[in-house]
Amino acid sequence: MKGIELKNVSYQYPLSEAFALKNIHYTFEKGKFYGIIGPNSAGKTTLCNLVRGLIPHFYEGELSGDVLIEGKDVREWDGSLLSTKIGYIFQNPFTQISGVKDTVLEEIALGLENLGIDKEEMIERVINVVKLLKIEDLIKKNPNNLSGGQRQRVAFASIIAMDNDILVIDEPTSQLDPESTADIFEIINMLKSQGKTILLVEHKVDLIAEYSDEVLVMENGHIAYSGTPSDVFSNIELIDRGVAIPQAALLSHDLQRQNKPFDFITITNEQAKQQIMKRMSCVNGSY
Amino acid sequence: MDYEFIYSFKKPQLTGNWFLDLNPLTKLNIVIVIAIISILSLSWQVSASIIAFYFLLAALAGCLKRFSKMYIKLGLLIGSLLFIMRAMFIPGDHPLFTFWLFTITQEGIDKGIWFSTLVVSICGAIVLFSTITRAKDFMYALENLGAPHSTSYIILASFQSIIDLGDRAKLIMDSQKARGIETEGNLLQRIKAFIPVMGPLVLGAITSTEEKAIAMEARAFSAPEKNTHLSELRKVPLWEKLFVLLVNISLILFIIWRFI
Repeated sequence: MKGIELKNVSYQYPLSEAFALKNIHYTFEKGKFYGIIGPNSAGKTTLCNLVRGLIPHFYEGELSGDVLIEGKDVREWDGSLLSTKIGYIFQNPFTQISGVKDTVLEEIALGLENLGIDKEEMIERVINVVKLLKIEDLIKKNPNNLSGGQRQRVAFASIIAMDNDILVIDEPTSQLDPESTADIFEIINMLKSQGKTILLVEHKVDLIAEYSDEVLVMENGHIAYSGTPSDVFSNIELIDRGVAIPQAALLSHDLQRQNKPFDFITITNEQAKQQIMKRMSCVNGSY
Repeated sequence: MDYEFIYSFKKPQLTGNWFLDLNPLTKLNIVIVIAIISILSLSWQVSASIIAFYFLLAALAGCLKRFSKMYIKLGLLIGSLLFIMRAMFIPGDHPLFTFWLFTITQEGIDKGIWFSTLVVSICGAIVLFSTITRAKDFMYALENLGAPHSTSYIILASFQSIIDLGDRAKLIMDSQKARGIETEGNLLQRIKAFIPVMGPLVLGAITSTEEKAIAMEARAFSAPEKNTHLSELRKVPLWEKLFVLLVNISLILFIIWRFI
């Protein structure tokens, strides 16, 4: 089922001569988890801004092609209505705090207040999301005094509480430790299981390989590769083009070069582990 | 999880202090009346009494320390500055003494005392109100009166952005210091160190404003739904309404007594 369709979309920021996005043609289906990777300045954040409707509603500039959100052109959508449909968490945790609330609890409830949710439901939703993000110890704190990682989790909680159908998440783990990063991916996976459409920009490719349904590799404003994680990361061209790939895929490709390939190109640590165990058991058996 | 804290939002969050728990608009009404009395009295003795009265009110609200810390500093600065300016420049028939180009007169001193106590008493009304009223409660009260949601957000966010700007300036100054640039010393040195900071400070503020606007949009700030509130204000009790009425009648009686 189609959620967001991009048809030959190109975009130039105001006063910029270069195209931030070039001839993008892609369909994001409902209920799927899309991992978006690529080097800096590849157009990942611009793609997020486009899908979220900030282009053209917030950022002007030259937009060509069609961006259809639930079948309706983004230009025809009321920008304020899009915020009730698509949740957006972006990179900088320091500007995602409203600055007008005294406690984290109230900060998380801000979006719900704007959506006109009644108080009982608001409190229930906030409790659930606080438990989910494991930020129970933060609820009484002033959001303006939190660290970057804490603010990132609060911003994430604030958007999840709004229960949008589509979530656009731009590097949510940039300030988090490995344990919190794993937690965030677990939560994103859980949101996917609830039928939400997720677009995640992330540099942690091992986790993208493990969790996403589809991977998009962006390069110079266009989608260079797309497909299932297995299809994309099995492509040896990615290494030659300097695209980061999961450790398990790197190991697989290395072994293949040395004519000692696994049964298939592994992309997750678990798959690599199983292949190694299998090989070890074969070696042990031969003795 | 602190459920007691969470569920405290189900009802108005009262402090137990009758003065602090007054509706923000009641408090505003009281401080405006006091400031008007100070203005209309045309007497430094009344203004000085009002200044003392603020401390009493702050003590009643349990905020004496916080209020005093802020008000004494501000009052001394503004009061002394205004007094000196008036005393030095207002001419009169009763010179007291002369130094350099200035002749200090009894009239100048009198007007200086009156004007400085008046301004300090008006400032006191503002400081007292901001000390005893949470900004969000005031904005909520204004929204209940029909003020747009965006107005209250802009006012609250402006307060926070002043703090943010200060923090950012400190951060840039620290970075400069880490690079070996002299940021401390006499006033001239400090000014010289601060001027180059202005550029990144202003540009950073503009960028963060744009991101903040996106962040607020992500929180459905302009959603068409009528917004609700997690915090709520107590319904104004009858005794509080009568109290406001009494305060306002007192003002009217004062005006009648003073001018008719």
